[in-house]
Amino acid sequence: MMSQHFKNAVVDTALVGSVVLLLMFFYAPILTLVAFSFTSSRVLTFPIDGFSLQWYGELIRKPDFFPAVINSATVAAVSTLFASVLGTAGAIAWIRYQFRFQNLFRVVTFAPLLFPQLLLGVVMLLWFSVLGNWLNFSTGLVTVIIGHVVYITPFALVIVAVQVYGFDETLEDAARDAGASRWEVFREVTFPLLWPGIFSAAIFAFLLSWGNFYVSYSLSGTARTLPVFVYSGIAVGSSPIYPALATLNFVPALLLVGLAEFLRRRALKRQSTALSTS
Amino acid sequence: MKSQSKTWNDPILVAAVAPLAIVMLVFFLIPLAMTILLTFQTTQYYRLQWTWDLKIWTEIFSKPHYWTIMLRTVGMALVCVVISILIAFPTAYALTTRLKTYSAQIQILIIFAFLTDAVLKTFGWILVLDRQGVANWLLSYLGLGPEAMDILFTPTGTMIGMVYNLAVYPMFTIYLSLARIDRDLVLASYDAGASRIRTFFEVTLPLSRPGLYSGAVLVFVLSLGAFLEPKVLGGGTSPLASELIRQSFETRVNWPLGAALTIVLIAIGALTLALAAAFVFRRTPAARRELA
Repeated sequence: MMSQHFKNAVVDTALVGSVVLLLMFFYAPILTLVAFSFTSSRVLTFPIDGFSLQWYGELIRKPDFFPAVINSATVAAVSTLFASVLGTAGAIAWIRYQFRFQNLFRVVTFAPLLFPQLLLGVVMLLWFSVLGNWLNFSTGLVTVIIGHVVYITPFALVIVAVQVYGFDETLEDAARDAGASRWEVFREVTFPLLWPGIFSAAIFAFLLSWGNFYVSYSLSGTARTLPVFVYSGIAVGSSPIYPALATLNFVPALLLVGLAEFLRRRALKRQSTALSTS
Repeated sequence: MKSQSKTWNDPILVAAVAPLAIVMLVFFLIPLAMTILLTFQTTQYYRLQWTWDLKIWTEIFSKPHYWTIMLRTVGMALVCVVISILIAFPTAYALTTRLKTYSAQIQILIIFAFLTDAVLKTFGWILVLDRQGVANWLLSYLGLGPEAMDILFTPTGTMIGMVYNLAVYPMFTIYLSLARIDRDLVLASYDAGASRIRTFFEVTLPLSRPGLYSGAVLVFVLSLGAFLEPKVLGGGTSPLASELIRQSFETRVNWPLGAALTIVLIAIGALTLALAAAFVFRRTPAARRELA
């Protein structure tokens, strides 16, 4: 009996330990970047020489990364808008409706998720280059946005679909019985109930677009987004300004992820209590 | 959730389906078709010529250089799958069985790490794996001597980066499979006198197969396009297919060649997906139920 207890304890420890190790693995580069952002030396060796904020100062003094931040923010905002709207419509069509060619629709709208991003970028780059030759335009921020929408919409769709799946359609019936028009039902019932899913999909989409390298790298032409800027920077040589830039990048992202998860979970909990009491 | 049957006369269905369908058609399916067409063209003096021949394909099939790199890419992808699954399964299992109270918080931490800028994370790995980096400092602190590990700019460095960027996918597919398992089945197995280990191998593991397989397929397909990792952490010493594609576009300005190499990779990925769908998923009853 004792040995059985002992065995269970070993298994429990190993399993919990595996999660701890995983988190250490996932956070090793992230925490390292944060640590190096406070170094007082120009060389990036560990342990760091001393604490200083000089590299943050350097970022402010030489804001050559700033156009890239503006580009990234524009791309992320516009593609988030498109991805959330298209993803929500698509999720409703995936889950709530049945129609001819539905499976084809599902396969086509899910496929970019199964595509290595680099290849997705290359395929679109070829298309835009050929189109550009005919119609006389070159790749830039607009093509990056289109690329991001194609890549990110499937993620948004899956997240909203989870919300649609738990949707209680009797509430819509009730609103209709009470005399609401189709648009009123959507505005007053459907949309508010789906909102938590849409909101977390939007945050997910924003961060995916903000941090996207592969698609932007292929499609950005001469306009550079932040990840492309950092990539071309570290290709030339590492400097402590990149850890500082990375740390500044982490803080708002962490807040956004926390907020999205909090709202989503609260909504799911509400939905399940509402269902169990009705 | 009951679903409504709709016909294409219904404007609501058209409004929900058409915009996304058109975006995917114009910016995904047509570009894909065009990439295939481009492989039958040639370039002269850095200009595309619409010649319609098989020159590029004969070049690709006759040069072993391309095939060594393609094979290396597939090999790296397979190793990446095995390591990712070995990491993902125990952690997903621990999240569903042992750490339920903290599971939400741990998932947020994982999602955040996943969503953070891949270029920055990869750069972070340089600082970890460097000769004077964090890992070596830790190893010498543990008494293993100075600069015990020298894996930056080797295929091992590339592999660490690939697993790092892709292990999240099987974690979530396996987690979803495990979370769905009816707890009563496990309890019934205990009641019938099966040990914990036997229950794990005869109940839990078979029921988690859909997540296991779909996670493995995802990692394999996505790792075919790994570019940052071999470039930044591998130091370009043993290039993968992505590097070939980049070179054919940027250095050689040979679109048909780049298009053909892209199609080869896509074909490998699509074939894997098709095989997985045909053999693996059809054999597991749980997967069939999932799809139904």
